[in-house]
Amino acid sequence: MLISYNWLRDLTGSEWGVAELCKRLTMRGLEVEGVHEAGDDSVIDVALPSNRADWLSHLGVAREVGVMTGRGVRLPQTESKRTEGRAADFTSVDLQAHDLCPRFTARVVRGVRIAPSPAWLAGRLQAVGLRSINNVADITNYVMLELGQPLHAFDLDKLGENRIVVRRARAGETIRTLDGVDRKLDTEMLVIADAARAVAVAGVMGGAETEISDATTNVLIECAYFAPASVRRTSRALGLQTDASDRFERGVDPESLLRAQARAVALITELAGGAASEDAIDIYPRRVARPSVPLRFGRVGALTGLDVPTADALRILDALGFKVSTGGANGSGAAKPDGAIEVAPVEPGAQVVFTAPTWRYDVALEEDLVEEIARHFGYEKIADELPVSHNVGEHRAHEGRRRAARRALTSLGFDEAISFSFIDAAHDERFELPPGLVAGAGGGGGAGENAVSASKNAASDAGGGDEKDSGERRDPRFVTLSNPIIEGASRMRATLLAGLLASLRHNFNHGTRDVRLFETGRVFAAATDGGERPTERESFAMVATGGALEAGRALAPRELDFYDLKGALEAAADAMKLPPLEFAADDSARHLRAGQSARVALGGQAVGFVGRLSDEIAAAYKFRQAVFVCEVNMTALLDAGETPARYAPLARFPSVVRDASLVVDRSATFAEMRRSVLGMNLEDVRGVALFDVYEGERVPEGKRSVTLRIEYRADDRTLRDEEADALHRQIVESLERKFGAQLR
Amino acid sequence: MSTEVTSRQPEAVREAFEQEFGRFARFRGEGRAVALSELRLADAEAALRELAELRTRHAGKKSALANLKKQIGRVAPEERAAFGQRVQQTEAEIAASLDEAEAALRSHAARARVELERLDVTLPGRRPRRGHLHPITLVRRRLEDIFVSMGYAVEDGPEIETDFYNFTALNIPPDHPACSVQDTFYTTEGFALRSQTSTVQIHAMQRRKPPLRVIAPGRVFRRDTPDATHNPMFFQLEGLLVDRNVTMAHLKGTVTEFLSRMFGAGTRTRFRPSYFPFTEPSAEFDFSCFKCGGTGRLAGEPCRLCKGGGWIELGGSGMVHPNVLRAVGIDPEEFSGFAFGFGIDRMCALLYSLDDIRLLFENDVRFLEQFN
Repeated sequence: MLISYNWLRDLTGSEWGVAELCKRLTMRGLEVEGVHEAGDDSVIDVALPSNRADWLSHLGVAREVGVMTGRGVRLPQTESKRTEGRAADFTSVDLQAHDLCPRFTARVVRGVRIAPSPAWLAGRLQAVGLRSINNVADITNYVMLELGQPLHAFDLDKLGENRIVVRRARAGETIRTLDGVDRKLDTEMLVIADAARAVAVAGVMGGAETEISDATTNVLIECAYFAPASVRRTSRALGLQTDASDRFERGVDPESLLRAQARAVALITELAGGAASEDAIDIYPRRVARPSVPLRFGRVGALTGLDVPTADALRILDALGFKVSTGGANGSGAAKPDGAIEVAPVEPGAQVVFTAPTWRYDVALEEDLVEEIARHFGYEKIADELPVSHNVGEHRAHEGRRRAARRALTSLGFDEAISFSFIDAAHDERFELPPGLVAGAGGGGGAGENAVSASKNAASDAGGGDEKDSGERRDPRFVTLSNPIIEGASRMRATLLAGLLASLRHNFNHGTRDVRLFETGRVFAAATDGGERPTERESFAMVATGGALEAGRALAPRELDFYDLKGALEAAADAMKLPPLEFAADDSARHLRAGQSARVALGGQAVGFVGRLSDEIAAAYKFRQAVFVCEVNMTALLDAGETPARYAPLARFPSVVRDASLVVDRSATFAEMRRSVLGMNLEDVRGVALFDVYEGERVPEGKRSVTLRIEYRADDRTLRDEEADALHRQIVESLERKFGAQLR
Repeated sequence: MSTEVTSRQPEAVREAFEQEFGRFARFRGEGRAVALSELRLADAEAALRELAELRTRHAGKKSALANLKKQIGRVAPEERAAFGQRVQQTEAEIAASLDEAEAALRSHAARARVELERLDVTLPGRRPRRGHLHPITLVRRRLEDIFVSMGYAVEDGPEIETDFYNFTALNIPPDHPACSVQDTFYTTEGFALRSQTSTVQIHAMQRRKPPLRVIAPGRVFRRDTPDATHNPMFFQLEGLLVDRNVTMAHLKGTVTEFLSRMFGAGTRTRFRPSYFPFTEPSAEFDFSCFKCGGTGRLAGEPCRLCKGGGWIELGGSGMVHPNVLRAVGIDPEEFSGFAFGFGIDRMCALLYSLDDIRLLFENDVRFLEQFN
């Protein structure tokens, strides 16, 4: 809110300079965000907390300054120059909806001359961002900014039968508001009406037909207190937010209506001439009750650590307008007849009951009073103390494992990505989800296939997200936002791959073609049984494409492939102290290219997939180079038991290695061959490692040459060459038999 | 054997040697530097090989010199000493010539080889390109380590919440603007994406009994259109301490301590009154600018980071509202607590001088590789 420095000074008499004033306001909770010059004035931009409706006026801010100076505020003059007749002589008010309008007042000024505002008035309004209209309209705005009370001026002669009815709108009733828009009202909205029709939307905006015009001579000044919830509802329903509705929905002071009205009327008779009615029609059947709040003075120190003398606490509350409740006083903080608080010694344990001033809507509890006292005593006086500790520090479960995995991946050249949690629903059918998130999905073949195949065609049509309705697209398996902010991003991600591939596209667009990214984060799925909170699980994903870069060298020695990504996943799992992951060829993951994809399992339980991105998806993203992706259920990895490190005695005797180059069918896998060798259970065979794989010249089509390196060692002696050779021959023969292998 | 013959023999051996050695003589004495400088490595190596042959032929076991040495015993006793002396002298002269030339050639060859194998040590070392952690992870990790060392447990909660955790238990009334569909994301099932990590306060207080100290770093969501200073998703860190006799002084001391560890000793804090539904009294906190040391000026100019004010706004805090304590069954008469929260993204932006926080979630490699 914009505050005029000069205006504030008029109300407080404070002589603090602008900078000093701003500092003090900020330290009392009125955060000054900026100051700018406006002629001989300075305009201060104050960010107000949402619970302090009473600060939405110069008087409200002045009250805080008044507490700081100790001199209070100087209320503006409210005496009208000329009065004549009683309000009831000229109009009447029929208040039919007490519940939505606890108080309504009306006063009349007759014989005014509508004209432009004098320079001082127009200037002040302009300084704080309001446009000058005419003298009477400007005065209502001026008083609102000065005292916080919105007012409305009607052309009395245009009100049917010159009278006011405060009622709910009728079904189908419409009104053209001051902004020229025809608005449809509903029967829960409060309107100000004349004998026949609605002439204002109560607390929100006046009607165009009864607006003050140059021809207006008699005006009716409405000043009311509307129920905040009602104004809020109406304002939302109409999509119409105004300075008035802002104030009413947060609460105005019901006890200051007549003063604000008198102030406006006094200014009108002064600037626009005419005679005011001597009184106002004031319908206020039940006073708005103020809460009584007990305060134990000891609580101030107990909550804030401040040692506030009771006299200071009482002085602050008194200056803020709090009164000691009559009959509620307990102890020596007795109320004087005029309601001011007698500043007498009070025991720290003593309790005094205070009544909040009528403009305060934020005070209901003892803690609220404690804050008021601390605020004005000064937060800057609170000491820095460290609390005595009764606790021990504790990282999240598995934090060490998370960090180890990250370290392993960065050392392999992977950069860490973080993507938005919401993605386009077009991705729904694109990716095989890591197992376990959505019922039936990602099991690798089997049950999952059926659940998704039905909608597969529809999804491929949706392709690049050409679907027009960007809002919610429900799918019972997933979590959908009803109010997304980024067009299309209405789905809570069930896979991290959508985000990583979008990032890959971004990098390609910016000329980076060698990219390795990983991400960990939550993925979401609808709860399996309705009503429950959605399922959240941690996922881990990687993408890799382009060359295996070396630091500082422009040319990568080679292109990344499947085994780079597989190796990175294994390195991460190893760093997490997991037993070796198991990989099996699996063509069922629909986002992966058949023949270059593997299902990943841990201890026999499927946890995800790794492989080359399918040509269809690559084409949809316009990727022109091979992209390798991987996603696994991170929660499953984190929850799996750690493999403890255990010492094994070092071999006492040397080992002998023998290589075997075997030409086998391409369908024969290394894992099978290795398993087969180890399965022979030959005592001195210690290991089977891959030495080399070769395809091409001198190897027939459909075959590949696999060179195994087999290690032989005995525990009790140095193995002789002949012994190793004999074992090796046995193994090669067995492989030849089982795999139709031929020794090269 | 006649005396005459024997007396001439050493001379003959020497002459024969010197005739062959002649072409290596330039590698001895004064002129050798010039001679060597014209010699390439391969020539020097060839010369060394030839020199070795020469040594075999003239000083080896089957050489004329060796033969001469065998004759010493057969020379007449009266001439033997003189003869022996001359043979030894000849041998020494031949050896000296060979050694000197060889040493010169060897050291030249060694030097030439060093020159030939001289590296450009400024070529990049051979290492795979290292990856980089996301700046949010880096900051978050530092924060977590600081708070763990201060006795806090790191907690987490769901990112999709019920109204109870996101609003009600935090004393946020249903008609508060924060609850509106303008500000908070809702799922079609009516769940809210958590709009602040304060939700974890409630989970933590349900899981643990006071005295407790927890922090909750994590993702939060607000319906802001992305721009240079807003993202619809960002990261916050929430801190909560509940114990007996906890005051705002403890809040202030704790925040000052952690900020000093983050931004350096001597960091000061400023608490200003504010309003949050879940704390009372409430305060926003600022800390002294770590660029200008809180002076607001840097090299005579207003400091750009704190815009000359000397303070940097960071987060919100306060004493846990009694309604919040009651919502989780803690008696506010027995226990009090403080809570504070701030944006990790904002701290990232401050620490790394980011001018556009949208970069945080674009995952541009050129951006990511700046952090370590």
